Formats: sequence, structure tokens, C-alpha cells
Amino acid sequence: MSSDAPDDLGVAEAVVTTRRRPSIVWLIPAVAAIVGAFVAWRTFSERGPEIEIQFETAEGLEAGKTQVKYKDVEVGIVEEIHLRDDLAGVHCTARMVKSFEPYLNEGTRFWVVRPRVAGGQVTGLGTILAGSYIGVDPIRDGTRTREFVGLETPPIVTTDEPGKHFVLRSREAGSVDVGTPIFFKKIRVGEVVASELDASGEFVSIQVFVHAPHDARVNSGSRFWNAGGVQVTLGAGGVDVNVESLASLLIGGIAFDTPTESAGPPAPDGALFTLYESLAATRRETYAQKTHFMAYFDQSVRGLQVGAPVEFRGIQIGEVRDVKLEFDSASGQFRIPVRFEIEPERIANLGMVDRTTRREGLDRLVEDGLRAQLASGNLLTGQLIVQLDFHRGAKPAEIVWNEPYPQFPTVPAPLEEITASVQHLVKRLENLPLDDVVRSMNGTLEAAQGALAQAQETLATASTLVGPDSPANSELRRALVELSDAARSVGLAADQIQQQPDSLLFGREGEQ
Amino acid sequence: MTSALAAELTRCHACALLCRLPGNGGRGGDGEHAAHGALCPRCGAPLHGRKPQSLERTWAWLIAALLCYLPANLLPIMKVTSLGRAQADTIMSGVVYLLLHGMWPLALVVFVASVFVPLLKLAILFGLLVSVHRGSRWRPVDRTRLYRITEAIGRWSMVDIFVVTILVALVRLGNLATVEAQPGAVFFGAVVVLTMLAAESFDPRLIWDRSEGRAA
Repeated sequence: MSSDAPDDLGVAEAVVTTRRRPSIVWLIPAVAAIVGAFVAWRTFSERGPEIEIQFETAEGLEAGKTQVKYKDVEVGIVEEIHLRDDLAGVHCTARMVKSFEPYLNEGTRFWVVRPRVAGGQVTGLGTILAGSYIGVDPIRDGTRTREFVGLETPPIVTTDEPGKHFVLRSREAGSVDVGTPIFFKKIRVGEVVASELDASGEFVSIQVFVHAPHDARVNSGSRFWNAGGVQVTLGAGGVDVNVESLASLLIGGIAFDTPTESAGPPAPDGALFTLYESLAATRRETYAQKTHFMAYFDQSVRGLQVGAPVEFRGIQIGEVRDVKLEFDSASGQFRIPVRFEIEPERIANLGMVDRTTRREGLDRLVEDGLRAQLASGNLLTGQLIVQLDFHRGAKPAEIVWNEPYPQFPTVPAPLEEITASVQHLVKRLENLPLDDVVRSMNGTLEAAQGALAQAQETLATASTLVGPDSPANSELRRALVELSDAARSVGLAADQIQQQPDSLLFGREGEQ
Repeated sequence: MTSALAAELTRCHACALLCRLPGNGGRGGDGEHAAHGALCPRCGAPLHGRKPQSLERTWAWLIAALLCYLPANLLPIMKVTSLGRAQADTIMSGVVYLLLHGMWPLALVVFVASVFVPLLKLAILFGLLVSVHRGSRWRPVDRTRLYRITEAIGRWSMVDIFVVTILVALVRLGNLATVEAQPGAVFFGAVVVLTMLAAESFDPRLIWDRSEGRAA
């Protein structure tokens, strides 16, 4: 540029624009925007699904604080708690973490972990200080859902627990409750998970869980029985007290055992078993075959209970199932039908296979004198048992093959026999010739009287012989006087000798 | 009244030496590029008639601060773990907590220092920038006073950050209690710093340039 003005040259002036580059400061909001966007993206991408859980009460739950934990890892947080419209419970809205989404299926269970004392165990102690949290038992498979109904009590067994579920059928629940322990050889191996009436209302279905590896001990031959509390059985065998463990004494228990002879593959998950009322019941039930008989007794059956054993020569072969009282209006007589069962399997090698040959065999035995009889099982308790034995002298009888129960012939109880023989004895006594005996005895007594009078006389004579005025007596007295005189002089002499021993040699002193 | 810039005078930012600044200062423009490359004869610092790119930079800082303000308030700033029970608090939830527990003076202090003041600063700066852009002649004295307030209270917002840092350092009782800083604290600190920078880069003389420019 020269000093001469551009106007002079008629040249247009260049437009000077200052190109303002944007300040470097703009990087700052750009960075802030990027960071902000990143944080926002991360927050939203980690935001998992929102779920609703229903509980009966929100005790211990706090919106914004209570966590949902699985294996003590936080997998969600309660965001909102509100009452249900019908006031029957609360809805908890929880925000779960995204990684937990595949486990939010229909079978997934939620419950509130609070301090709890149940089933002989104390759980949730950590929550006393740290506050309650929601526990979760996730299930991988199933239909996705966002709405759950929370459990009021923690599940006994979570799905990740190795082991098997079994179902026990029982007539009544007894002392069995959720959490009741399962024992195998008195070792705790599982718990009762649920107990409910089945559809028919006749049985109680008890779901139990047996932990691995003990679940392999359960096979089709396993028997479960109620081992709760103290089992005191007052039977014909005496008093039997059985306690599985101290814990089961307090909270009940179920025990199972697998007979060694029934080895087999482990039972599948969900297998059905019968829950017996006692260990003895499981043993009873091992005999599948049962033959029922009816026996009519005319005597008192006081002390005969249902379940009393039926014995043959002291070995139990069955038990009493029913005792009734019947009145036969035709004959005007009472009779007591006792229904008992015999388990043929208890008798080794009976040599009878099918029903007809068994029937013939029994007929033959009865022909030989086999009878049913009431016997005292226990003198202390007065229990009665039914005894089968051969009575050779019994009146001939036979089994009446009635339906539904064949009638077994009976003989009276031993007690009755004794009563009968006593009566017999009394009758014999009555027939004795007592009068004759008494008469002859009278004669004897008279003779004895005469003899006695003679004896009296003899004695009187004897007394005159030795009486006070008898010569013998006076002579005797005299002799005695003389004797006493002699004794006195001997005494004097003795005194003399004592005082003057030399007088023996030299005579009395006075004489010298 | 003529401004110093109009009289071709400017003061060194570093050593406050009054220098004559030749150029088209009389134009009454931004004055940013009026003396491009001018140096202070005494200390050698670059001389500007007005803070360079003042409005642009202020906008930049302000927008950055605004961007950080959202996460600062939405994210928790502090997590207190006491006996296994963890609780993460945002600024607002902390204020509510204090209020619910009857400590309203403390709640007021926290609210004013941590919520009200940053928001006020952002609003004032935003207002000032808009007014300068529009060349508003509305109450320049008051607006300058607002600017001074903004500059003065800026640092006080750091109270929250200090509380968090002190707690994190002090409360280390293992399982009993632990305090951890959360991302919100970082954003909150960024808001405070960014608004201070924004206030710093704003040149209040621009308020007067416009009002006088119009008046002249």
C-alpha cells in the first residue's frame, strides 16, 4: 500500500473481513455435553426394568432405600411403595438392574428378609441393623412378567439349591409344618417346603425337599414317617418312648429310611410317598398281603384294643383291626365280633401259594384244633391279645367262610378256664359225705373225753403221794433239816480253817 | 462521557499500566481486535481494549455449566454407608432430609449455597449476555451490580464440595460408616468452576459500551 489514497485511483476498496475463528473455549461445553450425554446414556442403559411386587405389609420397607438382593448382591431398589386400592396389601415398585432382566420370570419369587425365628433356625440377623431387604429367588426359564406376588415367609429352599422335591401323602398334617426338618438316620437332610390339602380334601400333601447328596438315598422303597415330638406307645408290648431328636421334639419332624433290601435307582424329583404315622407303622406296612378274619367272643374284651397283636405261640402274625358289639335280636344274645388280620407273609414258607390252597390249609389247621383265644398280653396294663394256638381237646369247629370276613372259631380265655375249674372244684366239695365224717369224729371225741378223765384221776393219786402230810414228805423234810445242819457245821469248820489254818494240825486254840 | 477505549486508552490487565492503544477504538465496537498484537510496554502482557472474545467465551462457559448443572442435581453426590445400609443422596434429597429432621437452618444454608446460588449465577449471566447482545440500555448500573454479585458469590457454592471431601476423608469407620463421593459431586464442582470462569470471561464494560454507544 502506498500513501496515495485509493480514491484517487478509482479503485474499489477491498472489503476487509476479520475471520473470527470460533474460540477454543467452545471445546469446554462440547466436552461437557459429551460427558453429560455419556452419563445420561449410561444411566439409562443401566436402568433395568421396573417391576411390581405385592406384599401383605410394607414392614421394614422404605422407598428409595430398600434394596432387592440376590446372594447379597444388589439387583434392584424399591422406588415406590403404595397401598393397594382395596387396602389388602401394598404394591412395591422396584427398579431392577438390567442384567437381572432375564430372571424376571413367572416363577421368580420375592420375599422380605427380616429377622426371623422359625424352624429351629434364626435367620436375617444382619437385617436388624442394616434394615430389611427384599430377597429374590430367580428362575431362568418361563414367561417374562413384571408383576409378582411376594412371599410372606422366605422360601425354605431356593431353586439353586441342589436336591430333590418329594411329595408325601398323609391322612393329617400332625405336627408337620413348613420348615419341619427331614431326618435320615437322625441327621437333618431336608425340610418341609409346603403342606396343603389335596383336591379331594382327604389327604394332606406335604412337599418336602431333601438336599443333595442325601436325595440319592430316597428310592421307591423308602419310607417316610412322622418323627415329631415324643411318641409314647402303650401297647401290649409295654411302654415305648421314641424321640428322633431334641429339635424334632420341639418342632416336629419327618424321618425316612430306605430298607437295605429295597435297593433301587434314586427316586425322581416329585415322587410320591406315603407318610406313615410312626416308625412302627412303616414296619407294619411292609406286609402287603392281609387276610381278614372275624372271631366272636362271648366274654368281656376289656383291654383289647384295635392294633393289639394277633400271636401264634408268642410270635406276632397280625393285628386286631376292629372290635364291635352285636346284639342278635333273634336269639337275644350279645356277642362281640373281633375282626383281625393275619399277614401270611410273616409266616415263612407256609407252603400255600394261592388263596384256595391257603383256605384248605387253614381248614385243616382248624380241624387239628387251631382256635382263637383272648389272652393277657401284659399283666401290668391289662392289655389283651388274640392268641392262636392248637387246643387238642377243643370242641370240633371249622372256619365259616362268610363274606366279607370268614369266621374263625374261638375257645374261651385261660381265665375262663380257671373260673370253670374252680366251679368244678366247688361242686366236688359239695358231694363229699361230710355228715358221716362228723359223726365218727363225734365218737372219737367222746372216747377222748373218757381217757382224759382217767388221766385226771391218775394225777390226783400222784398228788396224794407227794402231798404235804404224806410220810414221804415228812421224811424228806427231816433229811433236808439234817442236811442243812451238816452244811452249817461244814461252814463253821471252813471258817475255822480259814482263820487258823494250823488248827488242822494242832487243833483249836482254845483247847491248848 | 467518553470511554477510555474511545480515548484510545487502555489498561494493562496484568500490571494496570495505563497505555495509549492506537487503533479504531473510536468505533466503539468490541475493541477485542482493536489492538491486535499490542503489548504492555512495562510487563509485556498482551493489551486488549476489552476482554478478548468476551461474549463468545462467556456463552461457552455458561453452556458448559448448564450442561453440567443437570447431572449435578440429578445424580447423587454422596453415598453414606452405615452398618451395611447404604444411602445415596442428591443435593435436593439431602435438603429434604435435613428439613424433615427439623434442621431447617442447615437445610436453608445447603439450599441457598448449593441450589439457589448456582442457579442464580446461571440466570444472571444468561440475562447479562442476552441484554448485551440486544444492546439493551436498561439500568446499566443495576446490571453491573448484578455482575459484581455474581462474581462475589461464585466461590461460596463450593461449600457442598468441601463438605463431601471432608466427610469422605473423616468418616472412614470401616463397616460402621463410610462416606463415598458420587459422580454428582464432580458435576457439581464443574458447575461451580464453570460459572466462575464464565463470570470471569464476561466483561462488564460491554454493558456500558452498548448503552453509551446508543446514547452517543
